[in-house]
Amino acid sequence: MLSLFVLSFWRAKGFELIPDFTLANYEKAVVSKLYRTLLVRTVLVGFVTAAIVVPIAFALSYAMRFVFERRGQLILQLVLLSLFSGYLVRIYAWRTILGKQGLLNSTLQWLGLINEPLEFLIYSNIAVVITLSGLLLPLAVLPIYSALLNVSRDQMEAARDLGAGRVHLIRTILLPLAMPGVRTAFAFAFLLAAGDFVTPTLVGGTQSLLIGNIIADQFRGIGSNWPLGAALAFVTIAIVLVIYLAVVQILARVTR
Amino acid sequence: MNEMVRGFLDARLNADVSRRRFIQGAAGLASLSVLGAATGASAAETPKLGGQLNFLGWDGEHGGNVAKPFLEKNGIQLQASFQSAADEALTRFNTGGRGAMDLLTPNKDFQRAILASNVELFQPLDLARIPTAEGLFPAFKGAPWLVRDGKTYGIPIIWGDEPCVFNPTKWDKMPARYTDFADPKYKGQLVLLDDPFGNIWLYAVSLGMKEPSRLTAAELEQVIEAMLKMKPNVVTIGASHGDMADVLIRGDASIGIGGWAYQTLIAKEKGVKLVVGSPEVDGTFFWSDAYAIAADAPNLDNAYAFIDFMTSAQSNAALAKELGSGCTVEAAYDLLDPGLRDLYPYDNVRKPGGGILGTQIVVPPQEADGDVVGAPAWVEAWQTFKAS
Repeated sequence: MLSLFVLSFWRAKGFELIPDFTLANYEKAVVSKLYRTLLVRTVLVGFVTAAIVVPIAFALSYAMRFVFERRGQLILQLVLLSLFSGYLVRIYAWRTILGKQGLLNSTLQWLGLINEPLEFLIYSNIAVVITLSGLLLPLAVLPIYSALLNVSRDQMEAARDLGAGRVHLIRTILLPLAMPGVRTAFAFAFLLAAGDFVTPTLVGGTQSLLIGNIIADQFRGIGSNWPLGAALAFVTIAIVLVIYLAVVQILARVTR
Repeated sequence: MNEMVRGFLDARLNADVSRRRFIQGAAGLASLSVLGAATGASAAETPKLGGQLNFLGWDGEHGGNVAKPFLEKNGIQLQASFQSAADEALTRFNTGGRGAMDLLTPNKDFQRAILASNVELFQPLDLARIPTAEGLFPAFKGAPWLVRDGKTYGIPIIWGDEPCVFNPTKWDKMPARYTDFADPKYKGQLVLLDDPFGNIWLYAVSLGMKEPSRLTAAELEQVIEAMLKMKPNVVTIGASHGDMADVLIRGDASIGIGGWAYQTLIAKEKGVKLVVGSPEVDGTFFWSDAYAIAADAPNLDNAYAFIDFMTSAQSNAALAKELGSGCTVEAAYDLLDPGLRDLYPYDNVRKPGGGILGTQIVVPPQEADGDVVGAPAWVEAWQTFKAS
């Protein structure tokens, strides 16, 4: 990390890296309309993905902990099973599901619900968010379920006896107690989604380029610019970190 | 510090997307039949063979299957690592790799740029130690991108072109020019390769620019404008030729621009028919990779013997088959299956001096040269295209 930080102040000239102390790379990363657009898009995709993944992971964890308590471990193993396959394999699996002639479109056509394939399902921002959500859900379930294991049924029942409704109970009892897990789940979902560049490459099509793709481009091939890539990476890290901290603060206040 | 940075980033950014990796596993075993004959033609005549041989190049070009009998017979341990970008060998060479690197596999435009810039990376070859190089097609003997000051710096291994690959059930033929792909009838039908140089070069040709690899800023902008007219028709931009083939096979797109003839064979195995056919007026471009020896290579004898072995007709045919590419040795042509042989326009390599491969320069200058913009500007323009 430190090496990358030092590199962000260097210059690239032809096939060489020139040691220097210039802010030009950071200036370009901030001033360029292209990079600004992609940073905003990246943060949005990360945020939307986390906003989908965390509630689903919470609901699933709640069900495993309190509804299907005896089968909780089994369900957890099933959720984690997908992690045993490779990252690329899972993305290609989503391509198979979402493609024009994929599982979802074929099923909908077979059921007679649509006449033509739903093209927005693949090679779009929607495809990126769906795929990232599918990839990151198991990682979000783990910390939330782990946090809920520390919440005793007695506490829940005591709250109910004192007149707490379901929503009130979740907001004021369950969420605060599970907050460390929720925070970690949000961090996993948001940070990993914002930093991904493989998923947008494979299922994102022509409108879903993220800043990670541009950073990767700067590190490979003729015409690459490692110092600019490093500066872009640090600008992205800074922005994503600020947003993460802000969301964590908001969540803490809401559930206080 | 520089070395540390490079090492750190290498470990994380070397995800390979090359055409070679895509087929290596599948085609590896297939090459063994051709290989059988190659083992008898071992070039292990030098007495100093054995020990290590360090390879840094494109995945598959180390000849994992093809070279195995040669390596075993001579007690050579091949230490292969693979590059994900053309300039990676230079990066490693300049960051502690010098004196520890033997064999490299540069592509034609990268080697041309290095030799022209007088940057030290390759050493001149002693052709007397590679007698099998006599069998190369005329285009590859003394090819201009391999020669500087009368000295040869590389022995071509494979070659090919990047045509359009399309589904014949949807299209009879390709349009005359790449700019014609802006026609709305191609909406939702195109897949491109994530290659800034190939795509921009093809469009510069299509727009009639005289020196398509030497564009001014205004010309580059004009090219991107023309490409943006075609973009609404593009479904996706493939990360590699393998990924492009996957998109075509799944039916998510029906035309691949800047494709690879071998995609037709991959599709055939999956029961899908694809054919090649580039725009008649604009044509396409050609590539070739070569074996080169790094300056200060520590295992010179092993490197020469390896190249000599791999340049025999049998080895060359086996490698071409394994990598789904054109062979560079004239006698290897007869050893190829007709299906693979017919994929590439061999007329081009039967002409001396490099033929069309010698005259075509696809990659721009690394740095700006007067009004002519350098490669970083092409990369940024391509990113703008992708993000728009």
